[in-house]
Amino acid sequence: MEFLHDTVALSRMQFALTAIFHMLWPVLTTGMAIYLVVVEGLWLKTRNPDYYHHARFWAKLYVLNFGIGVASGVPMEFQFGTNWAPFSEAVGDFFGSVLGFEASMAFMLEAGFLGIVLFGWERVPPVVHYIATILVAFGANLSTFWILTANSWLQTPAGGELVDGKFIVSDYFEAIFNPFMVNSVMHMFLATLETSLFVIGGIAAWYILNKRHSAFFAKALKIVLAVAIAVAPLQIYVGHLSGEQVYHHQPAKLAAMEAQWETIPAGQPADWSLVALPNDELEQNDWELKIPNGLGYILELKPILSEPVLGLKEWKPEDRPHLLGLIYYSFRVMVAIGFFFAGLMLWTVLQWVRGKLSDAEIDGQRWLMRAWIFAAPLGYIAVEAGWIVRCVGRQPWTLYGQIRTADAASSLPPENVLVSLCGFAIVYSLLFLCALYFGSRIIRKGPDLNIPVPIFDRATSLPVKHSPDRRPLET
Amino acid sequence: MESLQYFLPQVWFAILALFLFLYVMLDGFDLGVGILSITSSDEERRGILMTSLSNVWDANETWLVLMGGALFGAFPLAYSTILNALYIPIFMMIFGFIFRAVAFEFREHSNRKFFWNYAFGVGSFLAALGQGFALGGVLAGIKVDENGHFIGSTLDWLNLPSLLVALTLIQGYVLIGSTYLIMKTEGDLQKTHYRTAKLAAATTLLGAILITIATPIFYESARSRLFDVPQVYFFGALPLVGVLLVGLLWRSLSRQEERGPFIWTIGIFLLTFLGLAAIVFPYIIPMQITIYEGSASASSLVFMLVFIGFLIPIMLAYNIYQYVVFRGKVTGDGYG
Repeated sequence: MEFLHDTVALSRMQFALTAIFHMLWPVLTTGMAIYLVVVEGLWLKTRNPDYYHHARFWAKLYVLNFGIGVASGVPMEFQFGTNWAPFSEAVGDFFGSVLGFEASMAFMLEAGFLGIVLFGWERVPPVVHYIATILVAFGANLSTFWILTANSWLQTPAGGELVDGKFIVSDYFEAIFNPFMVNSVMHMFLATLETSLFVIGGIAAWYILNKRHSAFFAKALKIVLAVAIAVAPLQIYVGHLSGEQVYHHQPAKLAAMEAQWETIPAGQPADWSLVALPNDELEQNDWELKIPNGLGYILELKPILSEPVLGLKEWKPEDRPHLLGLIYYSFRVMVAIGFFFAGLMLWTVLQWVRGKLSDAEIDGQRWLMRAWIFAAPLGYIAVEAGWIVRCVGRQPWTLYGQIRTADAASSLPPENVLVSLCGFAIVYSLLFLCALYFGSRIIRKGPDLNIPVPIFDRATSLPVKHSPDRRPLET
Repeated sequence: MESLQYFLPQVWFAILALFLFLYVMLDGFDLGVGILSITSSDEERRGILMTSLSNVWDANETWLVLMGGALFGAFPLAYSTILNALYIPIFMMIFGFIFRAVAFEFREHSNRKFFWNYAFGVGSFLAALGQGFALGGVLAGIKVDENGHFIGSTLDWLNLPSLLVALTLIQGYVLIGSTYLIMKTEGDLQKTHYRTAKLAAATTLLGAILITIATPIFYESARSRLFDVPQVYFFGALPLVGVLLVGLLWRSLSRQEERGPFIWTIGIFLLTFLGLAAIVFPYIIPMQITIYEGSASASSLVFMLVFIGFLIPIMLAYNIYQYVVFRGKVTGDGYG
């Protein structure tokens, strides 16, 4: 148990643990915020009370996840100072500024308008409420933008250079628009949207399968479908572009993702390994199954590569990413889920076109509904797997090619970090279980279709009667 | 360019002070209400207390996240050194935050509210305690080498004066929490908080007096700064104005005013804050590293100022709007 005395290892585990848990919640709320904008918009446009009830029902799940997201996210920011002080000092000029932008532009916007979205239905005119909903969604997605900008910059640092251990920025816009940024933001934006769509779709499918409010939830499923038709294939394409970027900017990570030990020279056929048993010590794969020319098609859409694919042996062992099996299989899990989503999309659209999703017939689509329920947690798994590839694959660097993780950590007594790490492990597991428990309670209870729809006086567009505005979650 | 290197760190010092003050004032009443909830006699009262915060708590807490992000960007050296030194109090605060934040959501859905009630109350207390120790630790001085890197030990923040600061801060939070509840509640509940406000005012004053006496005795580095002319007039006037404000607060509590107590309490917080800022300025790691030594590059400060500076009035505006929308008393059922 050597790592128990290794502050760097413990700090890494702590950051990984908090990040892996924290991500579960914003990944849902960021996408779900957009969904809330859509249903509220449909309500304002059609005045169909169903959409109002959708807005109120999903907001319950939204706020539960948002609250845990905030609670689990605050520690992330502070860890940069507590556990990664040398890193924070070195990159504060840019990385710190970006975290400041995230807080001021994005998070504050979301937090500042959330109260109105949740409790303001009877207190502000519908237009103001709708603007608040839009601003919450905008803030959440702006968070994705800034966080991914910061992380992309760590992957492909640009806009300056390291001078005497401190990153001096010469061009801030070059740093923001670093080579990874646009694609990474897109990939994560689509990931949050996809995760939320399949969670909402899965829950709606569960109600339909159980014959509870089938017609009501068929509406939700169709909204999800209308968006996911575009999102699922687009995500595969953007993911492909991200892979290409890794190939060009982080060849060691690509080699780890593919468990490729030997360099494949340009002009030779490149096979794609489908399943393998990477062996760190012998520097080879103990066993593997390859698809002939597959890698060539994946990277350049032709069988023969025009550039070499560097193998792991090109780097000294201390300069390569470790935990090869984790990176290799995480990548495959993510890709598999991406394709599964696209397939499920195709199947569902086919049934829709055939008229099988009408209120009368949707009850009969039992296998389709089961597939949607099965899909509900997969988005989370894909996102986690993707981040493992992204951040474990970046090792041994914190700032890629410039600052090593080992040099980025604060010197702290390992006992301190061990105690806080154990604290996080216990508390975050508790949060996770509570989220599942209370989330499933909200779902089992179902929507409250008796909440009176606010009636507005057209002349003043203010609520005509002031009934007590209960918390939407009041049990 | 030369003058920019003086001007910009000062601007950022002022912005950070503003964020911190807004945080201490807003999350101060938030945490204070949380601590008070431990003493609530029944479930209905606790429900009202939590409802009075439900729409504002996370916007209030965001000022701290904002302060953290801005400190990281504007004074990376201070951010890394201070947080590194205060590892334990920071995590005390963080775990407190986690418990109180999730208590809002989980309590709503839970049949057995007991656990989440205490998660809320104890979490608030723990967060306030961590902040108090952090403040005390910073004022006591952080051991750094010539590069400003932390070289002390992990328990440096734990000493008598920092315990005094922590307890006083908790009392201050209870005071502002009580006066907030006076505005937001009616009847018996309001009466209770006239009493808790008086009690907290007395203990806060006692703590403040002890800190005023202790500061020049324990904090060697602060001593010379306090007694130099002309600062000595300013630092001499502070406690006098402070006592005057406490007197005004006391009077408004005795007259059972609704808004007065909260406003006077903000006055007391503001005064304390000005005093602290005056002791600390121009240091960012007190008495060790100045804002000029610890700041990010001038270009970075300009860049941040452009992005964040113009947002400050906008953030203030929509936060105020939120308070305006939800003005008025809280009733048992939520907002009536």
